[in-house]
Amino acid sequence: MRIAKTARLLPFLVLLPAPGAAQEPGEAAIEVADPGRAENLFRAHCGRCHGVQGLGGEGPELARLVLPRVADQGQLERIIRFGIPGTGMPGARSTVLDDDAVSLVAAYVRRMGAQTTADASGVTGDAGRGHELFWAAGDCASCHIVGGRGTAVGPELTRIGLRRGADYLREALSAPAATLPVSRSGARSGFFEYLPVRIVTRDGDIYNGMRMNEDAFTIQLMTVSGAFVSLRKSGIAEMERRFGHSFMPLAQNLGEDDVEDLVAYLTTLGRGS
Amino acid sequence: MSKWSCTAAAVLGVLAPGSTLVQPAGAQVPHERILAADSEPESWLTYSGNYASHRFSRLDQVNDGNVADLRVVWAYQMDEGLIETSPIVADGVMYVTEPPSTVTALDARTGKRLWKWTPQMGADVLHIGFPEVNRGVAILDSTVYVGTLDAHLVALDARSGAVRWDVEVADNAIGFSLTLAPLALDGKIIVGVSGAEAGVRGFIDAYDAVTGELVWRTYTIPAPGEFGSDTWGGNSWETGGGSTWLTGSYDPELDLLYWPIGNPAPDWNGDLRPGDNLYTDCLLALDPDTGEIVWWFQFTPHDTHDWDANQIQVLVDAEWEGDPRKLVVTANRNAFYYVLDRETGEFLHGTPYSKQTWAEGLDENGRPIVIPGTDPTEEGNLVWPSLQGAANWFSPSYSPLTRLFYQPTRIMGAIYYKAEVEYEPGQPFMGGGEQALRGEEASGAVKALDVLTGELMWEFPLQSPPWAGVMATAGNLVFGGSEEGNFFALDAGTGEPLWNFQAGAAVRSAPMSFEIDGRQRIVNSAGGTMFVFGLPEGGAR
Repeated sequence: MRIAKTARLLPFLVLLPAPGAAQEPGEAAIEVADPGRAENLFRAHCGRCHGVQGLGGEGPELARLVLPRVADQGQLERIIRFGIPGTGMPGARSTVLDDDAVSLVAAYVRRMGAQTTADASGVTGDAGRGHELFWAAGDCASCHIVGGRGTAVGPELTRIGLRRGADYLREALSAPAATLPVSRSGARSGFFEYLPVRIVTRDGDIYNGMRMNEDAFTIQLMTVSGAFVSLRKSGIAEMERRFGHSFMPLAQNLGEDDVEDLVAYLTTLGRGS
Repeated sequence: MSKWSCTAAAVLGVLAPGSTLVQPAGAQVPHERILAADSEPESWLTYSGNYASHRFSRLDQVNDGNVADLRVVWAYQMDEGLIETSPIVADGVMYVTEPPSTVTALDARTGKRLWKWTPQMGADVLHIGFPEVNRGVAILDSTVYVGTLDAHLVALDARSGAVRWDVEVADNAIGFSLTLAPLALDGKIIVGVSGAEAGVRGFIDAYDAVTGELVWRTYTIPAPGEFGSDTWGGNSWETGGGSTWLTGSYDPELDLLYWPIGNPAPDWNGDLRPGDNLYTDCLLALDPDTGEIVWWFQFTPHDTHDWDANQIQVLVDAEWEGDPRKLVVTANRNAFYYVLDRETGEFLHGTPYSKQTWAEGLDENGRPIVIPGTDPTEEGNLVWPSLQGAANWFSPSYSPLTRLFYQPTRIMGAIYYKAEVEYEPGQPFMGGGEQALRGEEASGAVKALDVLTGELMWEFPLQSPPWAGVMATAGNLVFGGSEEGNFFALDAGTGEPLWNFQAGAAVRSAPMSFEIDGRQRIVNSAGGTMFVFGLPEGGAR
């Protein structure tokens, strides 16, 4: 099990800086043979849906470290070549993108993702102390799962070091409302996850919870105690989507060093160490 | 029951009992039936339901009093891909297209497949700037017509799916495709092409319905010496786009064909094509016998935002300032609603119907008063609406009962970028791109507009900008769908939601309605499945 997991992560590890490594290691790790041409190809062929900077649009964001469907260069090339059936992602036929162009675009996309990773050089804290804070005094596991332990109120953090940079994690601790995760999947793409919502029903019941999903007729919440609530909007008298708020407690009882130690610990998560 | 159905039943000597349904052998849909489609609401004989493109069903068995009882009668699971098709129903048979260009005939009563035809297309079919979709077939007499992704027009025997003829409309290797439902007129099949994102020179074609012979072709980009050629700098007209990828409308009394035209190419870099770029982003009125352009109206001169005019053109007869007038109305991708005289093309009225930040308004001729600094730039420039537009191909609906124009509306901005680009045959020719706002920063609505003034009468909010059409019915309902997988019915007068069904995947098609066994059916698709709804048997009708 341990071996299999390590093997699965290996392709990402190649892209990743070790904590404390030099600047821009991701960029250095992925060669893009002709960056100018790669950028032009990306803008022309991918930018219409994925955004010219890879930040998403009709299609999902690509400027992210972990692309869920992609383990390595070859897999990404196959997706670019053949598309993803059942989605809006078309295959780029060989008459449009030849093998060289597919390879170039794949490398460009992977480098784009690598460049969005943790600026690990910004990590100054003590990961060991962060580990202790997380599991003891900080009580973080009362709302987060890491490695199968903890409670699922907030986001799972098992691989958070792969997905988020140190600056983002620092802000998540000091100003959590500013870093609400944004959904990347399907019709929910671009919507805040864990958005606090306050609802008063026509019967006078009051619900405070985090939005799990919503459409024109219904909304699904999880309360801070972990209860699941499904409501039809026809039964709702008042609903406030509380933008600028988060259920994540502020790290006001933590000193600056504590925050840095937690950041150091979190950036190690998912890196196979 | 319509006159036609009565006649057919009488000929066969059969009236449909409960367990058996006998229809004429193969559909026989002469042009006269399509002309009189409004008198035959149990069928759906052309893309938008009638030549005036109302997408309005005169059936009222399902209505505001009983729609809450609606339930699935049957479902059909399609080949993988996006479903944007709008079915045709005639004489008990439903004709649908499946992605990318397959045609399937189904028993409209049970959903059981009768035949299926799939074109033999190479693995390298181009479709630059759009997914592998098809929006439906046309029917005329006993033949079904489909446009294919590799830019063929194919005539199929309605009874068997056998190929009657197959013509190459244009060369797919330089970016031409057909995704639209063809329009069947009297003895002619009208089609348009996709391909502006590959720098094609667009056109509209008419084919002889029996032989497949080309009757006329009208280019949407004038050649040197032709009217409008001075609106293109240098040789830019040769790769000027102006594709014609959505089904037009037809007025049999005026004998005019109305066809909307797409964006200029390259999309976002206008430096390469100085001028107004006629007839891109125009509505053309054409003589259906010759293809001659009778009048034109341009919504977005020198477009740099990819705001095709490929929206449904809705023909409405109404009193305008005291006089009866033949109008054509449309909610354009550029976020303005337009009212034109459809005899002359005269601009009568225009007003924004969705958030827009690019024009101060329209002048007395309907030309936009463009706000300086709203073009795409290398650094990016935030403008509403996004390139997907406030409207797009998905169908609006017009109810002659409420006199409201129902428009699924996208409320979304985008950061537009400009880039250098050179034309290469069969390659993308766009010159930039966009970064659309999304999530909490974008939304949608079904808007009910006064058909003459464009004034908002009500709106039903949607979580995300929609890609699905709507259909109003004589049951005082407006049916629609959402990106979040909802099918819904709204009160046509107030917008109050009366029914909804979670279909489990995004809705990308337009609803339609037909009647079989004396029971009204409502059709819409989500994800990979087409659903057919009706009221429960034996229950309240």
